[in-house]
Amino acid sequence: MQVRVGVYICRCGTNISENIDIDDLIQFSSRLENVAYVKDQPLLCSEDGKNFLASDVAQEKPERVVIVACTPKEHEKTFRNTLLRASFNPYLFQMVNIREQVAWVTADKAAATEKAKAYIRAAVKRVTLHEPLEKKEIECNTDVLVIGAGPAGMEAALLLAKAGRKVYLVEKNSFVGGKVARYEEVFPKMECASCMLEPKMDEILHDENIELITSSEVVEVLGYLGNFSVKIKRRATCVDKEKCIGCGACYEPCPVSVRNEFDYHLSDRKAIHIPYTGALPNVPVLDQGHCLRFAKTDSGMVQEALNLGLITQEEFENYKKQDCTACQEACMFDAITYDKQDEILERNIGSIIVAIGFELFDPSVIPQFGYGKIPEVYTGLEFERILSQTGPTGGKLLMKNGQEPRSLAIIHCVGSRNKKHKEYCSSVCCLYALKFARLAEKHAPGAKIYDIYADWCVPGKDNQEFLDSLKEKKNIYFIHTNLPLSVAVKQNKDSLSVSCVDVLGKENPLAADMVVLCPAIIPARDTSRLSEMLLITSGRDGFFAEGHTKLAPVSTNIEGIFIAGCCQGPKDIQSSVAQGAAAAGQVLSVLVPGRKLELDVITAEADENSCAGCMTCIGLCPYKAIMFDKEKKIAVVNTVLCKGCGTCVAACPSGCLKGKHFTEEQIFAEIEEVLK
Amino acid sequence: MGKPKVAFYWCASCGGCEEAVVDLAEDILKVVEAVEFVFWPVAMDFKVKDVESLGDGEIAVSFINGAIRTGEQEHMAKLLRKKSGLVVAFGACAHIGGTPGLANFVNRKKIFDWVYFNAPSNDNPGKIIPQEKTKVEVGELTLPEFYDTVYTLDQVIDVDYYLPGCAPPPDLIMKAVEAILSGNLPEKGSVLAPDKALCDTCKRKTTKPERASIKEIRRVHEVMLDPERCFLDQGIICLGPATRDGCGERCINANMPCRGCFGSTSRIEDQGAKFLSALASIIDMNEEEEIKRIIDSIVDPAGIFYFYSLPASMLRRRLDI
Amino acid sequence: MCTGRIDPQFVLKAFQSGADGVLILGCHPGDCHYKEGNYKALRRFHLLKRMLKQFGVDEGRFRLDWVSASEGEKFVEVIRDMVATVKKLGPLMTDKEKLRVG
Repeated sequence: MQVRVGVYICRCGTNISENIDIDDLIQFSSRLENVAYVKDQPLLCSEDGKNFLASDVAQEKPERVVIVACTPKEHEKTFRNTLLRASFNPYLFQMVNIREQVAWVTADKAAATEKAKAYIRAAVKRVTLHEPLEKKEIECNTDVLVIGAGPAGMEAALLLAKAGRKVYLVEKNSFVGGKVARYEEVFPKMECASCMLEPKMDEILHDENIELITSSEVVEVLGYLGNFSVKIKRRATCVDKEKCIGCGACYEPCPVSVRNEFDYHLSDRKAIHIPYTGALPNVPVLDQGHCLRFAKTDSGMVQEALNLGLITQEEFENYKKQDCTACQEACMFDAITYDKQDEILERNIGSIIVAIGFELFDPSVIPQFGYGKIPEVYTGLEFERILSQTGPTGGKLLMKNGQEPRSLAIIHCVGSRNKKHKEYCSSVCCLYALKFARLAEKHAPGAKIYDIYADWCVPGKDNQEFLDSLKEKKNIYFIHTNLPLSVAVKQNKDSLSVSCVDVLGKENPLAADMVVLCPAIIPARDTSRLSEMLLITSGRDGFFAEGHTKLAPVSTNIEGIFIAGCCQGPKDIQSSVAQGAAAAGQVLSVLVPGRKLELDVITAEADENSCAGCMTCIGLCPYKAIMFDKEKKIAVVNTVLCKGCGTCVAACPSGCLKGKHFTEEQIFAEIEEVLK
Repeated sequence: MGKPKVAFYWCASCGGCEEAVVDLAEDILKVVEAVEFVFWPVAMDFKVKDVESLGDGEIAVSFINGAIRTGEQEHMAKLLRKKSGLVVAFGACAHIGGTPGLANFVNRKKIFDWVYFNAPSNDNPGKIIPQEKTKVEVGELTLPEFYDTVYTLDQVIDVDYYLPGCAPPPDLIMKAVEAILSGNLPEKGSVLAPDKALCDTCKRKTTKPERASIKEIRRVHEVMLDPERCFLDQGIICLGPATRDGCGERCINANMPCRGCFGSTSRIEDQGAKFLSALASIIDMNEEEEIKRIIDSIVDPAGIFYFYSLPASMLRRRLDI
Repeated sequence: MCTGRIDPQFVLKAFQSGADGVLILGCHPGDCHYKEGNYKALRRFHLLKRMLKQFGVDEGRFRLDWVSASEGEKFVEVIRDMVATVKKLGPLMTDKEKLRVG
């Protein structure tokens, strides 16, 4: 079968022509089977070059086009669009990279020319086997799901709402703000965190385009860019947020007191509670795990309450007999109802932003720091609560015995930058350690503060200045150590001893009343669950993997799903907000109301007449794009979900799956010709 | 016009294909009725010179079974090709090399060394091995050349159609004969069997889980085989997914996994490689060491994956000997 | 194209067409753009390598390695190493006559 192939060779200025004999290539290509003509151009990607290509293709009317130029990564799209201008199906075209793969890497001109010839021969053969592929378009939904209402998620939600998008903001806690809601002040300017955050939180609560869904988690995601359907499980909190005014009258009479996880168990809360004063939305949550009505007397909860002296014997008898209604009785607005069940909300959306934040590495894994054993050893987040006015000590720097510490040691890099634990630098610890030092100095004047660091990581505006300003403080002692940390914390009778070897090998025995650890920032617990559900990849360190380290920092491997904030990797508030904004921008440009969505054409396709239904392919698809048609007993590829990776095609043992644009025939032809 | 002339010849084969013809039972009478056999060494007394004396293309169809492993077989295949209108590669060995093709993992020397010297039952003090030419009193005796490599029939002559199977099942044989007699033939080069994988008609398909996965590979003698459950799901290597349908699942019904005698579908160039790909893909492990452990538990992978198709595979034989 | 698209037939096709070595380079495990295509490649690679040994193809002729876009130096190192190994092993399919191919 004769097919008219047109070959265009780009000299790329001198980039290609200097190291490859173009005349020889032209002669060689002209003699290849099916080649109708060969033309060369000084710079095919220039305006002149593209105009030439479009008009020449329109005039010559080739059936296939081969462009011999640079990497398809750079200009395949350019040339496809140019060919489209000439009403030429862009998939009947093959690009040959003789710049990066030949001219720039093969020093000998004669060898480079021969190599280029082999590539051209392969492309010419391959292109004759190409099929015209037609783009398909589908309608799409432009609503957005944002998972996580920390700084990144809030920023994304607000920007999207401002652009008129409907946003469903799902937060697992009963309040918004994320970890930052726990902070008192933020580095480097020691700004009040709640003053900074509250206006934003307020906007979130009142924006008509945002549906805030708290105490909830996403439990199912189906579909694809432009057409996702999600299920969100909302925990029954038993408090009607429309009726509740947040007066707090309900906590007082609640007989159950448990440790408050918001304060990392450093304070107590009631079964019906608000995690901290000022939490937004200001609606209490009834914790069914601890409420007597739900936990029931046989769980031993009431017995325990009695044993702890939290209730009197009389109350105990009472609770045993009847279900507690203390909070309901206290509520003047009938906002509390006990028969609420967890509910599943269903929403249809077009794209998803995941901003689920981080957690801290558990320092008790490294026994030398004494965390979990020695009461006065805290993690950074616990210390944030101690410093917070809404925290367990009301913002006073106090130890568990109620005394102010006279000395305090802050240890950096706990679990970070360490091959045994987390190899990466957690990026914010140096700066928040400095913040701690600054606050400790303020709260406990005269106390000795030891800052045990391994290296300084304080990039960016203002941060170096912040460090320098603290270096001048006379009560703050900086001790430079090596990694891995040779620091050990021991409990003595009255205080803690912290032994540490500095970079000069000198042993520094220090006495400290309190120790604050800066543990590595690790992915939030939900990361792997969401990774599985959303099919987005995580990197080696467990954080969600960005599309490209430099150029696609908030994209994922799944179209229409973006990531922002610390779930992508450790970062400060500013960078999280920037990523939230970036993700919103991505969403706004990928799905535009009224615009249809173009589908990838390079997908797999199952031939229903030849599939034997062996099911080898079904489980291999990372996008769940292959279904088994139980009636016909064959595999069916959903080409909307398929990303064209070809894993199934390679596995199909009877050759019924075709990888469009990468068919066996085309690849075989390429291999054979290159090696001829 | 007389009845169409038919030849039936065997090359490197076991005789099972001839048996398959006998298995046509009463149907064979229909065949005999409709055609004239001009050459069938195993059943009738014709000589090579009888074939030589025929005109080119005079034989309507030659059914040739067996692989090509000697000079004589190649010579006969070429002779029959010249004299025949159609040549049908009959059975797995002619089609894809068959079990004789497994000899391509060794070479002539290795085979001769074993057969004439090293096999425990041998007594060959004079170290005598067959020679192509031997001078005797009355002249020179010749033996055909024994090739280093076993070939499929279409590697030595042009083949019009293929009847797959070890041996081809009677229903496919009858269908082929009927098609030839009626002239109602598919495109040249076709395999005269369905072009889907065996799983299509396998009764055990319904027992296969949708997400196929393998954590352990076992051999048939190591476990009690469930007579109803998909072999692969039992961790037993079964080439069914990579093998053409049409055999009537004779092995499967005897509770033995498929070994691939029908070859691949038309869309596959290398049956063994494609089966390998499918099998490896469903190994349910991502840890490299675990993957290796499972893979190392497969005894003789090449021998299993190319049980019937080594000469027809892309590499055709062991390359370093 | 993802390493997950690599059909063992491609590797055999390359050897059949005269390649003396075949090198598959993919994204690092866990970093696959298509999620886990490289794991499928890894499984196929190990089985194919084992099988190729039975075909008399030296292990040095077939290699899988992970090189990310940012690992230019590793890329060069792997290529140089592969070329040196294959050069040392020499041509693979010397006797086309015996195979009756080509």
